[in-house]
Order: sequence, then C-alpha cells, then structure tokens
Amino acid sequence: MADHSTARRSLAVLLLVVLLLLPLVLNNYHQFVVNTMLVYCLIAIGFNIVIGYLGQLAFANAAFFGIGAYATGLSMVHLGLPYLPAALVGTLAGGLAGGIVGLPALRVKGYYLAIITLALGELMRWVYVHADRVTFGPGGFKVPDIVFWGYTLADRQKYYLFLALVILATASTSLLLRSRFGRAFVAIRNNEVAAASLGIAVNRSKVVAFITSGLIVGLAGAMYAALNGRVSPDTFGLSQMLMHFAIVVIGGLGNLMGSIIGALLLTAAPELLRNFPGLEEIVFSLMLILVLFFIPKGLGGLVCDHFPSLRERLYREGKPHA
Amino acid sequence: MLGQLIASGIVVGGIYTLMALGMTVLFRSTTVVNFCHGEFFMVGAFAVLLTQSKLGWLMGASIVFALVLMYAIGALIERGLLRPLQNAPHISLTMMTVALSYLLKGLSRFFYGREVVPLPPILAGDPIEFFDIVLAPQDVLIVLFSLFVVLVAYWFFNYTRSGKVIQAASQTPRGAALVGINVPRLRNIMWGVGAMLGAMAGILIAPTTLVYPDMGGHVLIRAFAAMTLGGFGSLPGAVIGSMSLGVIENLLGGYVSSALVEIAAYLVIIAVLIVRPQGIMGEWRQGRG
Repeated sequence: MADHSTARRSLAVLLLVVLLLLPLVLNNYHQFVVNTMLVYCLIAIGFNIVIGYLGQLAFANAAFFGIGAYATGLSMVHLGLPYLPAALVGTLAGGLAGGIVGLPALRVKGYYLAIITLALGELMRWVYVHADRVTFGPGGFKVPDIVFWGYTLADRQKYYLFLALVILATASTSLLLRSRFGRAFVAIRNNEVAAASLGIAVNRSKVVAFITSGLIVGLAGAMYAALNGRVSPDTFGLSQMLMHFAIVVIGGLGNLMGSIIGALLLTAAPELLRNFPGLEEIVFSLMLILVLFFIPKGLGGLVCDHFPSLRERLYREGKPHA
Repeated sequence: MLGQLIASGIVVGGIYTLMALGMTVLFRSTTVVNFCHGEFFMVGAFAVLLTQSKLGWLMGASIVFALVLMYAIGALIERGLLRPLQNAPHISLTMMTVALSYLLKGLSRFFYGREVVPLPPILAGDPIEFFDIVLAPQDVLIVLFSLFVVLVAYWFFNYTRSGKVIQAASQTPRGAALVGINVPRLRNIMWGVGAMLGAMAGILIAPTTLVYPDMGGHVLIRAFAAMTLGGFGSLPGAVIGSMSLGVIENLLGGYVSSALVEIAAYLVIIAVLIVRPQGIMGEWRQGRG
C-alpha cells in the first residue's frame, strides 16, 4: 500500500511539472486547443458524477454548460463584474440549474429522465434566442476581455488560471466521491431500494449529486466564456451533448481518470477532422460503438485493469489492504 | 381560424403518429427507446430524393426502394448492433442508438454536404377547400395514410395471430420463448417495420420541411413528447398523444405566439412528467429504465 501511494505521489508531481512547463513548447493554436481540453475535462468530470456515479440518464449537461457560460458572460457585460466574480456567478448558476434538474430526477428516472432533461436543454436554447433583450438573441454576444489589474490575459496566462481551477475542481470532486456522499451515489446507482433500506437518504444524495455536477459544469462554462470570447446559443445544442456523452462513455462511466482521457482524446480529434463535414460525427459514433462492443468499462477502465494501483478506491477489488 | 388550425394540427399530428407508432413498436419489442428514429426519418427522405434526382426514378419506384432499404437497415441494426448487446447493461443499448443516430447523420452530411433541398410532393395539385378549411392534397394524403397505418396496426395487434404473438413476445420475452415463439426473429422484423414507418413519415413531410441531415432531431423530440403525453409504450396512446400534440402546437402558435410552436413539445414533456408521468393511456411502471 505504502509504495503504491509513493508511486502515485511521484507520478502526480511529475505530471504537475510537465503541465506547468507545457506552455513553453506550445504555439498559440496548440495553446488554444490545450485550453479547450481543460474545459472539457471539467465538463466530463461533472457529467460523470450524474451519469457514471449516480447512474441517472440525465442529458442536461450541455444546458449546465450553456447556463454557466451565459451567466458569466452576461454578468460581465451587464453588471460590469471582473472575471473571477463573474465566473463565480456562472458556477453558482450552473449549480442552481443542477438543483432544478435534480428535482424531476426524484420523481422520474430512466428514459423519462433522459427525455425531460433533453427537453430542458432545448428549452434553454430557445430562451437564449428569444430573450434577446438580455441574451442578445441568436447571434450571441462578445465576452469582454479578461483583465487582471489592468493586464489583459492571453491564452497562455488563461492556461494557468484554468489549470488551477481544473485541479481544484477535480480534487474536490474526487474527495466528494470518496466521502459518504460519493459512496451513497454508487449505492443508489447499484440498487436504489437497497440503498434506501440501508438508511441512505436517496433524495438528498441525488440532489447533492446534481448540484455538484451543475457547479462543476457551470465552472467549465465560465471558463469557456473566457476562452472563446464569444457565447452564442448554437454552441449548446444536441451536438454539444453528444460530445459530452461520447467523452464520458469512451473514457468510462464512473471513472474520473477515464473522463480526463476521453476529454483529451475527443477534444483533439475534431481539430484534425474539422475540414470534412460530418466526419467528426462519424468518427465519434464509430468510437462509441467500438467502446460499447469491446471495452464496456471505457478507456479509463482499460488502463485501470493494467495498473491496479490507479483504480479508484471505491472500486478497488480484491483483498482488503492491511 | 379555429377549424383551420385544428385541421393543420391533425396533419402534423399524422406525421408524429407515424414516428411515435414506429418508436412504440420498437420500444415494446426491445424495450429500447430508439434515439436514432429521427435518422430513419431523414435517411428515408434522402433515399427518395437521391433516387429521383440522380437516377431519375419514378416517385412510386423510389418510395418502394426507400421502404425496402429502410427495412433492411432496421433489421441489420437489430441483428448486427443491438442483439449482441442484449445481455449488456440496458444503458448500453440506449447508447448504441444514440451513437447510431450520429453515425447516420454524419454519413449523410459527409456524402451530401450542407445543401438543403425540397422533395417534390407525392400528390401535387390545387388546394382542397372544405367549408373554410384549406388543405394541400399532400396534407390530405398524410392524414389518410396515417389513419390507414393506425387502422392496420389496430387490426394486426388485436385480431391476427401474428399480432398476438408479438404482443406476447414483448410482454414476457422469456415466457414467449418457452412456448416456442422465435423472439429474436420477431424483434428483427419489428425493427425493420419500425424503420419503415419512420422513413414513411420522412417521405411524406419532406416536401414541406425540406431534406437535410439534421431534419430528424426536431421530429424525434416531438415524437417523444407525443409518446410521453399518450403514455410511453402504449399504441393507442401514441396515436392520441401525437394528434393532441399536433393540435396543441398549432393552437398555441395561432392564438398565443408563433415562437411557442418550437417549444410546445418541450413544455408538454415537462408538464406531463411532472403532473402525470404515466401519460393519458399508459400504465405506470416504477423503475423502468
């Protein structure tokens, strides 16, 4: 056990050093792609809480993402907030949206939940288009530059800001998942009735999971607004939802490391395929089909099978460690 | 005004009926909600369009070709992609249909590009006036055809031996298999028929909505709404839900605001699931999914 954790720790330090030095070797375009990867890492982690750990088919993730981006951008435009407070507004708005989606999840599940959450996502897009006095309608709006103490951040500086936010959010999610709540999520996923009979507050745990998911994806939305500089309704439609879904399934349901692997892989892919209309969809769906057939645990699960020490504690099987 | 709105609502409802009936048949045969039904709708319309415009086929020939093609695609999907996952967690089947939906969409975009083209109507001609209601001949055809499909489905499921066998197979697959019913074969046929129904809806509506790779998503959500409203998995529910949704959309658009037409389906879904999750005709089964 001890050498496992030392190995983990030195690996983590190594990874951190590489991540901190990364901008030195990247050109502007690659820097932008890497920043996008960071945004999608958070999206995937947030989505995985609900679909992977809690096991609820809720497809409102693109809506949380959009709400976070819109709340951040709009509070900068209309209220003149600086970026960090605006990002906080976006994160909280995402959390609120998560709580609201969590409520029907107490009443309906399975396909019904999938459909109601898809409907909510499309409803939000309609609101962005039609509430044009506030949201600037179908064309979207430009997000003001991100300024800290009179200094405008370029992509390279945004990278460090995003990296800090991603590490913070990933670490707190990982802690949450190892806590009482995380164990409750998995218990509910495996058998809701059995979980309730063991004294797990099913409804409260579900709402907590949805709020956490909303907060994290809302933060991703806030980062997206800063990264892209423009927020428009078309970004948050069904193809955005496919992207989230593909990342989480290909990475592995209920596997945080898998989500990160999936996010890195699937954010890089469209950059290579962008000149061919439709090819991105074809490649994503073929990858999904292959994963469903051959590696149901996803890429993250595959890695964990080969390196048991990376397996999350909740899922670590075998002998109890002495 | 009211009569016209209701009549156009019934026309749209006819299209939703074809979609919702196909999805209900698939839901009952495989207990899968088919997220790629909108793409059956789209591929059917594309098959007719391409055989007509590129190969110069007659309308009738291209429709027959499209329906045969969709039967084959539906049956192939069931045999090749869904049956091997029959024992996997249920969520995998749903994911497979989501993946297929994007695959078909991506393929049509890749080979066809971003053009948007109309399909010539099957029945052209002057609008038909009936008191103060005006309908295009194609609209009348849509209503008559969906009525025909509903009646055939009713007769088939209630009065024929094969229909009862299929009902049995969807109620308890294991029990049906025990008394010698070939359940996998039935599922295969149902997928073919479901895909054909979806394609027929696409072919009928394409003259008004145009043909493009994303045309399916819009109608898929509406078919979901109709099924939810009528009761998920209930055949009469699918018909009642579709017709009501078509009329509700038109009434909201006519009397309140035309912007509401787009979201009527979402509002219906949310309202039904909060107030009466089992829908009008459905029986509520806890824990499905």
